[in-house]
Amino acid sequence: MISQFFVLSQRGDNIVFRDYRGDVQKGSAEIFFRKVKFWKEDGEEEAPPVFNVDGVNYFHVKVVGLLFVATTRTNVSPSLVLELLQRIARVVKDYLGVLNEDSIRKNFVLVYELLDEVVDFGYVQTTSTEVLKSFIFNEPIVVDVARLPALGPAGLFMQGTKRMPGTAVTKSVVANEPAGRKREEIFVDIIEKISVTFSSSGYILTSEIDGTIQMKSYLSGNPEIRLALNDDLSIGRGGRSIYDYSGSSGSGAVILDDCNFHESVHLDSFDVDRTLSLVPPDGEFPVMNYRITQEFKPPFRINALIEEAGPLKAEVILKVRAEYASSINANTILVQMPLPTYTTRVSFELEPGAVGQVTDFKESNKRLEWGLKKIVGGSEHTLRAKLTFSQESHGNITKEAGPVSMNFTIPMYNASRLQVKYLQIAKKSKTYNPYRWFTFGDSGNEAQLALASPAT
Amino acid sequence: MSGHDSKYFSTTKKGEIPELKEELNSQYKDKRKDAVKKSQPDLAILAVNTFVKDSQDPNPLIRALAVRTMGCIRVDKITEYLCDPLQRCLKDDDPYVRKTAAICVAKLYDINAELVEDRGFLEALKDLISDNNPMVVANAVAALAEIQENSSSPIFEITGNTLSKLLTALNECTEWGQVFILDALSKYKAADAREAENIVERVTPRLQHANCAVVLSAVKMILQQMELITSTDVVRNLCKKMAPPLVTLLSAEPEIQYVALRNINLIVQRRPTILAHEIKVFFCKYNDPIYVKMEKLEIMIKLASDRNIDQVLLEFKEYATEVDVDFVRKAVRAIGRCAIKLERAAERCISVLLELIKIKVNYVVQEAIIVIKDIFRRYPNTYESIIATLCESLDTLDEPEAKASMIWIIGEYAERIDNADELLESFLESFPEEPAQVQLQLLTATVKLFLKKPTEGPQQMIQVVLNNATVETDNPDLRDRAYIYWRLLSTDPEAAKDVVLAEKPVISDDSNQLDPSLLDELLSNIATLSSVYHKPPEAFVTRVKTTQKTEEEDYPDGGETGYSESPSHAVDSAASPPATSSSAPHAAARQPVPVTPAPVPDLLGDLIGLDNDNSGNGAIVSVDQPTVPSGPPLPVVLAASTGQGLQISAQLVRRDGQIFYSLLFENNSQIPLDGFMIQFNKNTFGVAAAGPLQVPQLLPGTSASTLLPMVLFQNIAPGPPNTLLQVAVKNNQQPVWYFNDKVSLLVFFSEDGRMERSAFLETWKSLPDSNEVSKDFPGIVVNSVEATLDLLAASNMFFIAKRKHANQDVLYLSAKIPRGIPFLIELTAVIGIPGLKCAIKSPSPEMAPLFFEALENLLKS
Repeated sequence: MISQFFVLSQRGDNIVFRDYRGDVQKGSAEIFFRKVKFWKEDGEEEAPPVFNVDGVNYFHVKVVGLLFVATTRTNVSPSLVLELLQRIARVVKDYLGVLNEDSIRKNFVLVYELLDEVVDFGYVQTTSTEVLKSFIFNEPIVVDVARLPALGPAGLFMQGTKRMPGTAVTKSVVANEPAGRKREEIFVDIIEKISVTFSSSGYILTSEIDGTIQMKSYLSGNPEIRLALNDDLSIGRGGRSIYDYSGSSGSGAVILDDCNFHESVHLDSFDVDRTLSLVPPDGEFPVMNYRITQEFKPPFRINALIEEAGPLKAEVILKVRAEYASSINANTILVQMPLPTYTTRVSFELEPGAVGQVTDFKESNKRLEWGLKKIVGGSEHTLRAKLTFSQESHGNITKEAGPVSMNFTIPMYNASRLQVKYLQIAKKSKTYNPYRWFTFGDSGNEAQLALASPAT
Repeated sequence: MSGHDSKYFSTTKKGEIPELKEELNSQYKDKRKDAVKKSQPDLAILAVNTFVKDSQDPNPLIRALAVRTMGCIRVDKITEYLCDPLQRCLKDDDPYVRKTAAICVAKLYDINAELVEDRGFLEALKDLISDNNPMVVANAVAALAEIQENSSSPIFEITGNTLSKLLTALNECTEWGQVFILDALSKYKAADAREAENIVERVTPRLQHANCAVVLSAVKMILQQMELITSTDVVRNLCKKMAPPLVTLLSAEPEIQYVALRNINLIVQRRPTILAHEIKVFFCKYNDPIYVKMEKLEIMIKLASDRNIDQVLLEFKEYATEVDVDFVRKAVRAIGRCAIKLERAAERCISVLLELIKIKVNYVVQEAIIVIKDIFRRYPNTYESIIATLCESLDTLDEPEAKASMIWIIGEYAERIDNADELLESFLESFPEEPAQVQLQLLTATVKLFLKKPTEGPQQMIQVVLNNATVETDNPDLRDRAYIYWRLLSTDPEAAKDVVLAEKPVISDDSNQLDPSLLDELLSNIATLSSVYHKPPEAFVTRVKTTQKTEEEDYPDGGETGYSESPSHAVDSAASPPATSSSAPHAAARQPVPVTPAPVPDLLGDLIGLDNDNSGNGAIVSVDQPTVPSGPPLPVVLAASTGQGLQISAQLVRRDGQIFYSLLFENNSQIPLDGFMIQFNKNTFGVAAAGPLQVPQLLPGTSASTLLPMVLFQNIAPGPPNTLLQVAVKNNQQPVWYFNDKVSLLVFFSEDGRMERSAFLETWKSLPDSNEVSKDFPGIVVNSVEATLDLLAASNMFFIAKRKHANQDVLYLSAKIPRGIPFLIELTAVIGIPGLKCAIKSPSPEMAPLFFEALENLLKS
C-alpha cells in the first residue's frame, strides 16, 4: 500500500498532496524533489523510477511534464504503484478533459475527491472512471483548450510512451455539452509506435511495432460493443526466428508476437472469428496492446549525411521519402537530429518552393529540428544545414551526431495492417456514427549515422 | 496544503448529499486529526457522535464515509466508539460500505490491535473472503495481509479452502484486487506437484492482462509453484508461456520497464531458458532512459552465449562509442565480462577491446585496461601478446583503478616485458601522491619484479618502495603489506617466491551475481520492492515497529572486527603527540622482528585482492563513537540530586550512518521505577525519537542503558539554528523531568560526505562569497596534520587536498549533513603554533556557528 501521493510541477511546486497513512514525514515531497533533481548515483544522472531514501520508498512517473509521486515504507509491488500513478493521471484527465498544471489547480477540489475514492488507507480501490462516477459529485471547471499550446506529435511522444493519455479527445467524461444533452460518440484509436533501423545500404536491421487500440466512450447506457479485427490475424511466432516471415511485408497474415487485453474484454469468440466484445467503461482505456516484430514496410525512408566542410564547419543533408500511396498524407511531421555538442550555429537551407516547413536549432540540447506540415505519399523532401563548430571535432564527426528520429501522424494508415473491420454497437433504436481515428506515431532508433541512416 | 482543504470544500457545496459529504471530508483531513489529538478529547467525542449517527444513514455513501473517516482519527478514546458502527458496517447490505469497513479494520488494527482481536473483527474479516462482491473480497484480503504482516501470531493463513475461494474470486476481481489476491496467495505452499499444477493453470490466464502489476504478480506465483512441479514438460511449457508477457512488459512506460528488467534479471539467473532466445529485445534503444539502458546491459551479459555473442558484441561496440560516459564505461566492462564468461568468445571480445583502445578516447582506454586485467586473471598466459598495445597508453592513465590494473599487469608479466623495470620506475616517482589502491599495486608489482629479475635495478626500486610504504605512509593496509613482504624477503626469499608468485585461483564473472540463498529469497519476493533493489525486505523496510530492536543494533555485525588494527592505529595517532606517532613504526622498520607469521590464507587474500578498497577509512569512522556498554562515559544531563535519585546521562551518537540517543538511566532512589517515556521539544534539526523508549523496570540501585533510534526533520523549530535539545523524560513513579542537552553538529555528518576534488572546486566556485564564514580559534594547536585529519575523518569530515602557504598548512575538507547539504572546509594553521583559522562555505551558512562550536570541541579534546 502507499502512504502518500503527490503531484509536483517541473519546478518542484506541490500541486496536490494527499497523505493516506501518516507514517511518512510531511517533508517527503521536498526530499524527493531534491533527490531527483540532483541525482548522482552509480554514475547515473537520471533517477530511476523507484528509490529509497532513509527508509522511505519513492515512486514516480512523468506525465505531461508533471511528476506523479507515491511514497511507502513497506515492501509493496512496485509495478502496482507505478501503474497506479499512470492510472491516476488518466482518471484525472478523464474528469478534467485536459491534464496539466493549470487544470489540476483549478479543479483541485475534484482531484482530492477523486483521490479519496481511488485510494483508501493506501490501498487502491478502483481506477475505473466508470465506477468512480457514482461516488464523485464535484463537477469539473473546464480549462479552455484553445489557450493551450497544441500538443504536437513531439509532445505526444515526449515521454517515450505509447499509452499517453489520448490524442483526439479533450472532453471531460462528466461535463455536459452546452445544449445540456450528451453527445453519443465513441472514439477508437489505433496508435502504433514504430522503431526501424536501416543499415547504410538500406537493409532493415531491426523493426518493431508497439501498438495499442485505444477506446474512449461517451455512449450512454453502456451498450455492448463488438470489434472485429483482421480475419488472418494470428498470435505468437510459430518459429523462433523473426526472419521466418521475411518478404511477407506486402501480403499475408498479420502476426502478433504477443498481445494483452483490457479486463472488460471478452474473448469468447476471439479464437473463432477474431472479434472482441466488451461493454466499454467510461473514460479512456486500452482495449488491446500488441507487439509485432514481423517485417513490414516502413512509411518513410530517411537518408542522413554529415560531412566536414572545412575547419570548424560541416554540412548535414537530410532526405525524407514517403513510401506510401499518394492518396494518403502524413501530418505534423517532426524530424530531429542531435548535433555534435560543440555546435554553435546552424543555418538552414530548404528546398526551393517549400511550404509549411520550419527549421530550428535547439541550443540547449544541441538538436536540429525540422517540422513539416504535410508530406504527400510518394514525395521527397530535403533539408540542408550548415553547422559551425566552436572547436575541431575529435575524430569521427558522424559518431557525434544522430541518430535521426521522426514523429508523425498518418491518418487512415497503419504499418502493421492490423485493422478494426467493423465496430458494432448493440443498441436498438438509434444508429451511431462512431468516429474512427487511426493515429500513428513513431521514433527512430540507432546510434550511428555513418553506418546506418536511422529512420521511421 | 491539506490545511486549506476544508476551506475549499466548504465553498463548493452543492446539493444535500455532497454537502454532507464535504463536511465529513473536511473533518477527515489532518486538521481535524491534529485538533483532536491536541488535548481536546471532549470535542472529538462530539464529532464522533455525528459519525456514529451517520453510520446508520439510509444513504450507503454516507455510511461508508462515516466509517472511513472515523478510522482516520487516531485517538484511543474514539476508537471504542468506532467498534459498534464498524461491526454493523461489516455486515451492511451495500458492498461499498462493506469494502470500506474491511479497510477500516486494518486502520483500527494499526491503532489498537488488541481491540480488533477482542471484538472479533478478524473473524468478520475472514467471513468477507467469501463475500459475493469481488471488491469486498479484495479489500478483506488486503486488510488481512497487512494485519498478518504486523502480527507474530498466525491470523491469515491460506488453507486449501481459502485458496480455491480466492482463485475463483480472482476471475471477477478488478485488476487491483487481482494483485492483492495473487500476492496473498503467493505465500501458499502447495502440497504436491499436482496441486501446484492446478494452481498454475488457474493463474496462467492472468499473464494476458494489460495491467503490468497483474502480470508480474502472476509470474511470481507461477515461478513459485514451478519449484514443486517435477514434470520437465510442464515446466518447459510454462517457461514458453511466460516469455511473451515478460517481453511485452518492455513495451510499457520506461518506469514499468525498469521494474520489469530488475525482475527479469532475477528470473534469468534462476531460469535462463525462459528468455534465452529473446536477447534482441534487450538491445538498448537510443532514447531509453539511462536507468533502463544499464539494466538491459546487465541482462544482455546474462543471456550472452556462444551462439549470440557476435550479435551482442556488435551491440556493445556500438554502445562504447555513444556519448554518455557512464554508459560507455559499462559497455566496455560488459565486453570484458563476456570474455570471462564465454571462453570460446574471449578472443573475439579482446579484439573488440583492442579496436576500442585504438580509438584513443581516454575513458574507454582506461576502462578497457581494467577489464583486460580481469581477462588475464581468467586466462593466464594466453593473451600477453597484447601487452605491448596496452603499454602505449601508459601515460594517459589517470584513474586509480586503471593505473592499478596496468601496474598489476606489468608486475604479473614482468619476465616477459623487457622494460618492466623502467615502466614501474616511472610510476614510482609519484608514489607518495598516488591513491592507496595504486600504492598497494605498485608495492606488490615491484616485489614480483624483484623476485622474477633479482638484478640491481629492481633491488634499488624495492628499497625505495618498502621505505615509502613503511615509513612515509599512514595507511595501515599498505604498511602491513609492506612489512610482510619485507620480512618474507629478508628471512626466506624462496618462501617469498612461493607466496607472492603462487598460482592464483581462476576467477569467474561473479560481479552482480547473487548469492544463491539471497537469490532464493529475492525470487520469492518477485514483484515487490525487494526485487527492484535486489535486497531482502528487512534491509530497507523500516516499519515504525521498534520492538526490542535496540538490543541488536548495539553491536554492528561482523565485518568491521577484521580491521581491528586500523582503529587502534587511528586512536594512537590521534591521541599521542605527532613525534611518537611516526617514530613507532620507524623503530619497528629498522629491526623487522619476525613476530608470529601471518596465517597464509590471509596473506594470499591480501596479495591477490586487486580491488582491495581502502577499508581503513570505513573502520576509522567507528572509533570515535561511544559504544554503549564500554565507551567513554556519557555526560550527565540529569543529576541524581535534581531527579529524586534518578540520574540520566545521555548524548546523541552516530552509528552505522544512523543517529541514536544513547541513554544511561541509574536508579539511586529507594523505589523501583518503570514506564519510562521520552519526548523531545522542537529543535533546529527536528530531532525526534523514531520509536518508543525501551527501558525495563529499574530496581533501586540498578541501571540500564539504551540506544534510542532517532529521526530528523520531525518537529523543526523555526528561527536561527542553535544546538539546544530540550528533553522530557517521565516514568510512572516520578514527576516529569526536563533537561537540556546540546546537539553537536558532528553527529549529522554523513558517511557519504566525501567529495571529489573537482566537485569540491566546482561547488566552492558555484557558491557566492556571502556563503563563506570564517573564524579564528586562537587556543587550538595543530601538532600534526595527519593526526588532525584522522580525528576529523572519524567525524566524517573528509580530507580533499593540502597546500603550503608560506609556513602555513592549508587543508581542505568536505562534509555533508542530511538533505545533502555540503560543507566545504578550509583550515589554516602553522604546525605547532597555537592558532587555527577555519573558513567554511556551504549553502546553509547559518549553520556555521554550530559547526565552529563542534569543531572547537573536537579539536580541543
